[in-house]
Amino acid sequence: MNCETCQLKELELDPAEIRDVLRCVLHTIFFHRALGLVRPKDVDCELFEITYVQCGDAELEKKIDEKIEQFVAWSEKHPNRKSQVCLSFYEVKSKQSSWFGIKVERQHWEHWIVNVNVHPIHPPKSSFLNTREKVLEETSTRRSALETSVREVLFQIIKFANEKQEHIPPITNSEVVSFPYEITTPR
Amino acid sequence: MAAHSDSGRTTEQIVSQFLSKALHAILAARIPYIHGPTPPPSRHPRKRDRWFHLALGDPPPALEHPSGLIPNGVMEPLVVDILLSPRDDPTMPEAIVERWVAQCEAPAPWSPLHSPAETSSNSFLVKRTYKKSIILLRSIYSVLRLLPAQRVFKMLCASNQSYNHDLTYRVSSFAEPFSRKEEAEFQYHCFAPVETQSGQLAVSVQYRPSLSQFNLEISSLLPPMLITDYVGSPAADPMRAFPSSPSERTGTRSSTSFPLRGSQHGQPSTSAPASAPVFFNRPHSWTGGPSEVPSNRAQHPNHPPTGSYRKPAFNFDEFKFSPPFYMSPTPSPPKFSGSYMQSPLRSETAPVSIPQSGSSKVKVLRSPNLSDPTRNFLPPPSPRSARTTDPSSQDSDSRSFRRPDGLRTSDGYSNMYGTPKGLKDGRDDSGRFSLSGSPRFTFSRSSSRISVPDDLDDPDFSYPFAVDDVDSSDSQARSNDGKEVSDFGHASSSHKSQDAAVGVLVHMLRTAAPLRDSTYSSQSSKSELQEEGLGSTSSFFMSRKASDALEELQSYKSIKEMLLSQSKGKLH
Repeated sequence: MNCETCQLKELELDPAEIRDVLRCVLHTIFFHRALGLVRPKDVDCELFEITYVQCGDAELEKKIDEKIEQFVAWSEKHPNRKSQVCLSFYEVKSKQSSWFGIKVERQHWEHWIVNVNVHPIHPPKSSFLNTREKVLEETSTRRSALETSVREVLFQIIKFANEKQEHIPPITNSEVVSFPYEITTPR
Repeated sequence: MAAHSDSGRTTEQIVSQFLSKALHAILAARIPYIHGPTPPPSRHPRKRDRWFHLALGDPPPALEHPSGLIPNGVMEPLVVDILLSPRDDPTMPEAIVERWVAQCEAPAPWSPLHSPAETSSNSFLVKRTYKKSIILLRSIYSVLRLLPAQRVFKMLCASNQSYNHDLTYRVSSFAEPFSRKEEAEFQYHCFAPVETQSGQLAVSVQYRPSLSQFNLEISSLLPPMLITDYVGSPAADPMRAFPSSPSERTGTRSSTSFPLRGSQHGQPSTSAPASAPVFFNRPHSWTGGPSEVPSNRAQHPNHPPTGSYRKPAFNFDEFKFSPPFYMSPTPSPPKFSGSYMQSPLRSETAPVSIPQSGSSKVKVLRSPNLSDPTRNFLPPPSPRSARTTDPSSQDSDSRSFRRPDGLRTSDGYSNMYGTPKGLKDGRDDSGRFSLSGSPRFTFSRSSSRISVPDDLDDPDFSYPFAVDDVDSSDSQARSNDGKEVSDFGHASSSHKSQDAAVGVLVHMLRTAAPLRDSTYSSQSSKSELQEEGLGSTSSFFMSRKASDALEELQSYKSIKEMLLSQSKGKLH
């Protein structure tokens, strides 16, 4: 079975924008890969005029938020660094019992790499030429550009999710998230 | 062959359900109140929801039977146009903001799908078709939220305002081609097709990247909402009455302050039309019965602003607008504060007439004007030299009491005192005032008799400190400044103990006409006495004792208590 990998466009984020952006991206991926019965829930981004869709599964939301918080904590310790959050779907291929216990073999069939570049974006220092309005305008411009980039990433997800489907294994359970997954953050 | 026919029917059913669900998703994300006034309650997923593992709830009535949408089979394209229709200007054409096209295209001759012989893969193909349809439907659902029209939809749904445009739709099996100019205004997004036995299920959307050209604004037709319990209204202040309350005329309930609450939640108000203007006035194609093809507009004609849209007869500028959600019943400052202020005062101080005794040679304190209610609260005027000292000269018809001499000898008090109207002749140099009303207190002095009748219900009673002519022993003019100072001290002590009442009296004196006669001035008292030949009064003042002053002080205290009790009684 092939393993498809989707490298998403890099997003330059301010630490305050991490949660909103990652939540939007990860939930959009899950909405296209959680093929169980879902009752979609529209969610508006806090910082952007973007509406994305969640699967409506509380457990999934909780796990995503936990991973996002882990990443936020890591980014606070390692500022100004490029990093990745990886969402992988896998199959449990076999369970082999050994002297050391049961060994579970996972076979990943899809990786979603969310590339982020987190660095505090300091507004230009106020000077004789920089007025408060100018600072706000520049912040707004940057935020608008980031919103455009997030939209591009979401369309990238939708395009990839529609074009690459042959590698998706058959649905074996009736849960919302029909495939096991793992979210990997840098350590 | 049978398997192929079965799989073919299954595929056809999948495509049919897919088109129905796609249309449901599109209309639910673009047409406000597509489900009618009441949104469908959330419930356990039904069989219809389980199709494609996407629970969208109950479809609109027109989508109850998917076969009605594609009467010519699944091979007929399904074209859904989302239009932005102006409400206020019927001459303006409606504009297509999105065009969704879903159709099952026949497979190419070289496609393996074209061969019906491979029955073993039919079930696999059906399963794969169904799985890909699930993902395609999810993508359509997500893209609907990312396109610019989503923002317009949210504005029309969430806001309780009525905008100058409406989102409507048109479903057809034929896509009217755009002109070149229009084509250039649209962007195109095509979803990856899903292979089916019937062909390739392809979905695409043409959309306007920007809707700013339509100037979506709050409709000016929406009249201002009537706020019935605005600050200062009769509803907020029952003491005030308006000549004609709009709520009384229209019969609308107070909830018109929240006119669009029902429409915001998709529930039309069952009250007067005024309570739910927006819902019924918002034309959209999704109205009418279940069999109605939702392609017409304006099922509910725009109601003219008659219900709550009536123009108020009064000027809005007079009132403070408050948002209807934040209407506070806090009363505004009384508009007629003057009257409110005056009425209790008026109750406290009845008109008092000062006897106009010309024979009095004793100075009297000027009393407030008996006929002028505004002068009820002036402190007693300064004594007048023309008063007689005979207690019997007191006006038998008036209630009187003696004022302490200190009140009439101070220059400050003289400035505060004005000449009440009609009191010139009634003044008594002895410092007594005549009260035509009926003060509730009486007091007397050993050397001078000051009587204040108990009955205050006399309509002529205007102020409490009008004193009749005091005895001659009391009405003697001050001969020296020291005495005046001491008297002033007594006056100040009594004055201080009658804070509110004296303040009112001061106001009365200030508004009173100035005393023509200079005899009431404390500084000129001596000269007045001399002019009037009242040299004998000096001896009178000299003979005054502390006991007299104390008696006067007690009298003033009782006057104060009377005034306060009167004011409390009037207010309640």
